Amino acid sequence: MPGRDYLGEFEHIVVLALMHLADRAYGVTVRQEIEFRTKREVSIGAIYATLDRLEAKGYVRSRLGDPTPERGGRSKRFFHVTAKGVEAVNCTQRALQKMSEGLDLGFIRSYS
Amino acid sequence: MTSQAYLGQPPRPAVWLINLFTTHKNAESIFGDLLEEYSSLASKSGVSFAGRWYWRQTVKTIAHLFGSGYRAAPWSTTAAAVGGFLLHRFVSGLPHKLLSAVTDRYLAFWSTHFNAYIWVLKGMTPVHLIASLFVGCVIALAAKGREMVATITLALVLCALIGSAMVWVATHWPLGIVGMLWTFADPFAIVVGGALVRTRRSPAITLAKHV
Repeated sequence: MPGRDYLGEFEHIVVLALMHLADRAYGVTVRQEIEFRTKREVSIGAIYATLDRLEAKGYVRSRLGDPTPERGGRSKRFFHVTAKGVEAVNCTQRALQKMSEGLDLGFIRSYS
Repeated sequence: MTSQAYLGQPPRPAVWLINLFTTHKNAESIFGDLLEEYSSLASKSGVSFAGRWYWRQTVKTIAHLFGSGYRAAPWSTTAAAVGGFLLHRFVSGLPHKLLSAVTDRYLAFWSTHFNAYIWVLKGMTPVHLIASLFVGCVIALAAKGREMVATITLALVLCALIGSAMVWVATHWPLGIVGMLWTFADPFAIVVGGALVRTRRSPAITLAKHV
Protein backbone atom coordinates (compact mmCIF):
# COMPACT_ATOMS: atom_id res chain seq x y z
CA MET A 1 0.00 0.00 0.00
CA PRO A 2 2.03 2.97 -1.28
CA GLY A 3 0.13 5.55 0.77
CA ARG A 4 1.44 3.98 4.01
CA ASP A 5 5.15 4.31 3.18
CA TYR A 6 5.76 7.17 5.60
CA LEU A 7 8.65 7.37 7.99
CA GLY A 8 8.47 8.41 11.62
CA GLU A 9 10.43 11.50 12.67
CA PHE A 10 13.50 9.66 13.94
CA GLU A 11 13.33 7.05 11.15
CA HIS A 12 13.36 9.93 8.67
CA ILE A 13 16.44 11.46 10.34
CA VAL A 14 18.28 8.12 10.40
CA VAL A 15 17.57 7.36 6.72
CA LEU A 16 18.75 10.85 5.73
CA ALA A 17 21.93 10.29 7.76
CA LEU A 18 22.52 7.00 5.91
CA MET A 19 22.08 8.81 2.60
CA HIS A 20 24.60 11.49 3.62
CA LEU A 21 27.15 8.90 4.75
CA ALA A 22 26.67 6.53 1.80
CA ASP A 23 29.13 3.63 2.16
CA ARG A 24 30.59 4.93 5.47
CA ALA A 25 27.32 4.41 7.37
CA TYR A 26 27.65 2.31 10.51
CA GLY A 27 26.54 2.84 14.13
CA VAL A 28 29.24 5.33 15.18
CA THR A 29 29.15 7.49 12.05
CA VAL A 30 25.34 7.53 11.92
CA ARG A 31 25.15 8.58 15.59
CA GLN A 32 27.79 11.31 15.10
CA GLU A 33 26.22 12.55 11.87
CA ILE A 34 22.83 12.97 13.59
CA GLU A 35 24.41 14.69 16.60
CA PHE A 36 26.42 17.00 14.33
CA ARG A 37 23.46 18.01 12.15
CA THR A 38 20.63 18.11 14.72
CA LYS A 39 22.67 19.09 17.84
CA ARG A 40 20.74 16.39 19.69
CA GLU A 41 22.44 13.69 21.78
CA VAL A 42 21.45 10.30 20.47
CA SER A 43 22.16 6.89 22.00
CA ILE A 44 23.53 3.96 20.07
CA GLY A 45 20.52 1.96 21.31
CA ALA A 46 18.13 4.41 19.62
CA ILE A 47 20.09 4.12 16.37
CA TYR A 48 20.03 0.30 16.35
CA ALA A 49 16.39 0.06 17.47
CA THR A 50 15.44 2.33 14.55
CA LEU A 51 17.72 0.62 12.03
CA ASP A 52 16.30 -2.78 13.00
CA ARG A 53 12.78 -1.46 12.42
CA LEU A 54 13.78 0.06 9.07
CA GLU A 55 15.48 -3.18 8.04
CA ALA A 56 12.37 -5.17 8.95
CA LYS A 57 10.32 -2.83 6.73
CA GLY A 58 12.81 -3.29 3.89
CA TYR A 59 13.96 0.35 3.84
CA VAL A 60 17.58 -0.42 4.71
CA ARG A 61 19.94 -3.36 4.36
CA SER A 62 23.01 -4.20 6.40
CA ARG A 63 26.24 -6.13 5.93
CA LEU A 64 29.09 -6.95 8.30
CA GLY A 65 32.52 -5.45 7.65
CA ASP A 66 35.87 -6.84 8.74
CA PRO A 67 36.78 -6.96 12.44
CA THR A 68 39.04 -4.10 13.54
CA PRO A 69 41.42 -3.89 16.54
CA GLU A 70 40.08 -0.51 17.84
CA ARG A 71 36.72 -2.24 18.23
CA GLY A 72 38.18 -5.12 20.23
CA GLY A 73 38.09 -7.39 17.20
CA ARG A 74 34.44 -6.75 16.42
CA SER A 75 33.00 -6.09 13.01
CA LYS A 76 31.26 -2.92 11.88
CA ARG A 77 27.73 -3.33 10.61
CA PHE A 78 27.32 -1.12 7.54
CA PHE A 79 23.89 0.05 6.42
CA HIS A 80 22.57 1.32 3.13
CA VAL A 81 19.19 2.62 2.00
CA THR A 82 17.22 0.46 -0.42
CA ALA A 83 15.12 1.75 -3.34
CA LYS A 84 12.03 1.21 -1.16
CA GLY A 85 13.67 3.32 1.54
CA VAL A 86 14.41 6.14 -0.90
CA GLU A 87 10.77 6.03 -2.03
CA ALA A 88 9.64 6.22 1.62
CA VAL A 89 11.86 9.28 2.18
CA ASN A 90 10.42 10.99 -0.91
CA CYS A 91 6.90 10.12 0.18
CA THR A 92 7.48 11.54 3.67
CA GLN A 93 9.18 14.68 2.34
CA ARG A 94 6.27 15.30 -0.07
CA ALA A 95 3.74 14.83 2.74
CA LEU A 96 5.62 17.26 4.99
CA GLN A 97 5.92 19.77 2.15
CA LYS A 98 2.19 19.56 1.39
CA MET A 99 1.29 19.91 5.06
CA SER A 100 3.44 23.01 5.45
CA GLU A 101 2.19 24.67 2.24
CA GLY A 102 0.47 27.95 2.96
CA LEU A 103 1.83 28.13 6.50
CA ASP A 104 4.01 31.03 7.56
CA LEU A 105 6.50 28.98 9.59
CA GLY A 106 8.46 32.08 10.64
CA PHE A 107 5.26 33.48 12.17
CA ILE A 108 4.52 30.20 13.99
CA ARG A 109 8.06 30.01 15.36
CA SER A 110 7.76 33.47 16.90
CA TYR A 111 4.79 32.20 18.97
CA SER A 112 6.39 28.94 20.11
CA MET B 1 48.97 -1.48 22.41
CA THR B 2 49.07 -1.33 26.20
CA SER B 3 47.78 2.25 26.40
CA GLN B 4 45.14 1.45 23.78
CA ALA B 5 44.18 -1.65 25.73
CA TYR B 6 44.01 0.36 28.95
CA LEU B 7 41.92 3.16 27.42
CA GLY B 8 39.72 0.61 25.74
CA GLN B 9 38.19 -0.73 28.95
CA PRO B 10 34.73 0.71 29.52
CA PRO B 11 33.00 0.31 32.91
CA ARG B 12 32.33 -3.42 33.33
CA PRO B 13 28.95 -3.03 35.11
CA ALA B 14 27.75 -0.86 32.20
CA VAL B 15 28.94 -3.47 29.70
CA TRP B 16 27.12 -6.18 31.66
CA LEU B 17 23.91 -4.13 31.79
CA ILE B 18 23.86 -3.49 28.03
CA ASN B 19 24.63 -7.15 27.47
CA LEU B 20 21.42 -8.06 29.31
CA PHE B 21 19.29 -6.18 26.78
CA THR B 22 21.00 -6.53 23.40
CA THR B 23 19.80 -9.05 20.87
CA HIS B 24 22.35 -11.57 19.62
CA LYS B 25 22.17 -9.98 16.17
CA ASN B 26 23.13 -6.50 17.41
CA ALA B 27 25.46 -7.39 20.29
CA GLU B 28 28.68 -7.37 18.29
CA SER B 29 27.97 -4.09 16.48
CA ILE B 30 26.68 -2.24 19.56
CA PHE B 31 29.64 -3.25 21.76
CA GLY B 32 32.07 -2.54 18.93
CA ASP B 33 30.59 0.92 18.28
CA LEU B 34 30.56 1.81 21.98
CA LEU B 35 34.13 0.61 22.47
CA GLU B 36 35.33 2.55 19.41
CA GLU B 37 33.77 5.81 20.64
CA TYR B 38 34.81 5.18 24.24
CA SER B 39 38.47 4.66 23.25
CA SER B 40 38.42 7.77 21.08
CA LEU B 41 36.86 9.89 23.88
CA ALA B 42 39.22 8.43 26.51
CA SER B 43 42.29 9.41 24.48
CA LYS B 44 40.91 12.90 23.71
CA SER B 45 39.15 13.91 26.95
CA GLY B 46 40.25 11.42 29.59
CA VAL B 47 39.02 8.14 30.97
CA SER B 48 36.60 9.67 33.51
CA PHE B 49 34.85 11.76 30.83
CA ALA B 50 34.65 8.72 28.57
CA GLY B 51 33.32 6.65 31.48
CA ARG B 52 30.53 9.17 32.14
CA TRP B 53 29.69 9.18 28.43
CA TYR B 54 29.58 5.38 28.43
CA TRP B 55 27.19 5.35 31.40
CA ARG B 56 24.91 7.93 29.74
CA GLN B 57 24.85 5.79 26.59
CA THR B 58 24.17 2.71 28.71
CA VAL B 59 21.09 4.18 30.40
CA LYS B 60 19.62 5.54 27.15
CA THR B 61 20.49 2.41 25.19
CA ILE B 62 18.83 0.13 27.75
CA ALA B 63 15.67 2.27 27.65
CA HIS B 64 15.54 2.05 23.85
CA LEU B 65 16.37 -1.66 23.69
CA PHE B 66 13.70 -2.40 26.32
CA GLY B 67 11.10 -0.43 24.33
CA SER B 68 12.06 -1.92 20.97
CA GLY B 69 12.24 -5.42 22.51
CA TYR B 70 8.67 -5.08 23.73
CA ARG B 71 7.39 -3.57 20.46
CA ALA B 72 9.07 -6.34 18.45
CA ALA B 73 7.06 -9.07 20.21
CA PRO B 74 4.32 -7.48 22.32
CA TRP B 75 2.06 -10.55 22.46
CA SER B 76 4.67 -13.13 23.38
CA THR B 77 6.17 -10.76 25.97
CA THR B 78 2.73 -10.08 27.45
CA ALA B 79 1.95 -13.82 27.45
CA ALA B 80 5.22 -14.53 29.29
CA ALA B 81 4.45 -11.80 31.83
CA VAL B 82 0.85 -13.01 32.37
CA GLY B 83 2.03 -16.63 32.68
CA GLY B 84 4.69 -15.44 35.11
CA PHE B 85 2.11 -13.53 37.14
CA LEU B 86 -0.07 -16.63 37.49
CA LEU B 87 2.95 -18.81 38.29
CA HIS B 88 4.06 -16.27 40.89
CA ARG B 89 0.60 -16.31 42.47
CA PHE B 90 0.75 -20.10 42.66
CA VAL B 91 4.38 -20.50 43.76
CA SER B 92 4.39 -17.67 46.31
CA GLY B 93 1.43 -19.25 48.10
CA LEU B 94 3.11 -22.66 48.42
CA PRO B 95 5.42 -21.97 51.41
CA HIS B 96 2.49 -20.69 53.49
CA LYS B 97 0.32 -23.69 52.49
CA LEU B 98 3.16 -26.02 53.43
CA LEU B 99 3.68 -24.25 56.76
CA SER B 100 -0.05 -24.43 57.54
CA ALA B 101 -0.12 -28.14 56.71
CA VAL B 102 2.85 -28.83 58.98
CA THR B 103 1.63 -26.70 61.88
CA ASP B 104 -1.87 -28.19 61.70
CA ARG B 105 -0.47 -31.72 61.72
CA TYR B 106 1.99 -31.19 64.55
CA LEU B 107 0.09 -28.63 66.59
CA ALA B 108 1.13 -30.17 69.91
CA PHE B 109 4.81 -30.00 68.92
CA TRP B 110 4.67 -26.31 67.91
CA SER B 111 2.76 -25.33 71.04
CA THR B 112 5.67 -26.60 73.15
CA HIS B 113 8.35 -25.19 70.79
CA PHE B 114 6.93 -21.76 70.08
CA ASN B 115 10.36 -20.15 69.46
CA ALA B 116 11.04 -22.67 66.70
CA TYR B 117 7.69 -21.76 65.16
CA ILE B 118 8.70 -18.07 65.18
CA TRP B 119 11.97 -18.96 63.41
CA VAL B 120 10.07 -20.91 60.76
CA LEU B 121 7.81 -17.88 60.25
CA LYS B 122 10.86 -15.65 59.85
CA GLY B 123 12.20 -18.10 57.29
CA MET B 124 9.14 -17.49 55.13
CA THR B 125 10.57 -14.23 53.75
CA PRO B 126 13.71 -15.77 52.20
CA VAL B 127 11.64 -18.72 50.93
CA HIS B 128 9.29 -16.21 49.32
CA LEU B 129 12.23 -14.46 47.65
CA ILE B 130 13.62 -17.76 46.38
CA ALA B 131 10.18 -18.52 44.92
CA SER B 132 10.20 -15.14 43.12
CA LEU B 133 13.73 -15.80 41.86
CA PHE B 134 12.52 -19.16 40.52
CA VAL B 135 9.58 -17.47 38.76
CA GLY B 136 11.97 -14.93 37.20
CA CYS B 137 14.16 -17.78 35.91
CA VAL B 138 11.15 -19.65 34.45
CA ILE B 139 9.84 -16.54 32.64
CA ALA B 140 13.31 -15.77 31.30
CA LEU B 141 13.67 -19.34 30.03
CA ALA B 142 10.28 -19.07 28.30
CA ALA B 143 11.00 -15.64 26.76
CA LYS B 144 14.19 -16.60 24.95
CA GLY B 145 16.02 -13.55 23.64
CA ARG B 146 13.73 -11.17 25.58
CA GLU B 147 14.49 -12.37 29.10
CA MET B 148 14.86 -8.91 30.62
CA VAL B 149 11.90 -7.39 28.77
CA ALA B 150 9.56 -10.14 30.04
CA THR B 151 10.83 -10.15 33.64
CA ILE B 152 10.90 -6.35 33.91
CA THR B 153 7.37 -6.15 32.47
CA LEU B 154 6.13 -8.54 35.16
CA ALA B 155 8.12 -6.70 37.84
CA LEU B 156 6.55 -3.39 36.76
CA VAL B 157 3.06 -4.92 36.94
CA LEU B 158 3.78 -6.25 40.44
CA CYS B 159 5.24 -2.89 41.51
CA ALA B 160 2.08 -1.16 40.26
CA LEU B 161 -0.11 -3.60 42.23
CA ILE B 162 2.01 -3.22 45.38
CA GLY B 163 1.94 0.57 44.94
CA SER B 164 -1.88 0.54 44.66
CA ALA B 165 -2.13 -1.66 47.75
CA MET B 166 0.18 0.72 49.62
CA VAL B 167 -2.00 3.70 48.71
CA TRP B 168 -5.02 1.84 50.06
CA VAL B 169 -3.17 0.87 53.26
CA ALA B 170 -1.88 4.43 53.69
CA THR B 171 -5.43 5.78 53.71
CA HIS B 172 -6.55 3.24 56.34
CA TRP B 173 -3.44 2.54 58.42
CA PRO B 174 -0.48 4.85 57.58
CA LEU B 175 2.08 2.95 59.70
CA GLY B 176 1.31 -0.27 57.81
CA ILE B 177 3.24 1.02 54.76
CA VAL B 178 6.60 0.45 56.47
CA GLY B 179 5.84 -3.23 56.89
CA MET B 180 4.89 -3.49 53.22
CA LEU B 181 8.12 -2.08 51.81
CA TRP B 182 9.80 -5.51 51.78
CA THR B 183 7.21 -6.74 49.25
CA PHE B 184 9.15 -4.76 46.60
CA ALA B 185 11.86 -7.40 47.03
CA ASP B 186 9.63 -9.83 45.10
CA PRO B 187 9.70 -7.93 41.76
CA PHE B 188 13.40 -7.29 42.32
CA ALA B 189 14.03 -11.03 42.78
CA ILE B 190 12.10 -11.74 39.55
CA VAL B 191 14.35 -9.33 37.62
CA VAL B 192 17.44 -10.89 39.23
CA GLY B 193 16.19 -14.30 38.05
CA GLY B 194 15.85 -12.91 34.52
CA ALA B 195 19.35 -11.42 34.69
CA LEU B 196 20.82 -14.75 35.86
CA VAL B 197 19.31 -16.68 32.96
CA ARG B 198 20.23 -13.97 30.46
CA THR B 199 23.84 -13.84 31.72
CA ARG B 200 24.17 -17.60 31.28
CA ARG B 201 22.66 -17.46 27.82
CA SER B 202 24.29 -14.29 26.46
CA PRO B 203 26.88 -14.73 23.74
CA ALA B 204 30.36 -15.09 25.17
CA ILE B 205 31.81 -12.66 22.60
CA THR B 206 30.26 -9.57 24.20
CA LEU B 207 31.98 -9.78 27.55
CA ALA B 208 34.99 -11.84 26.58
CA LYS B 209 36.14 -9.34 23.98
CA HIS B 210 36.03 -6.49 26.50
CA VAL B 211 38.56 -8.19 28.75
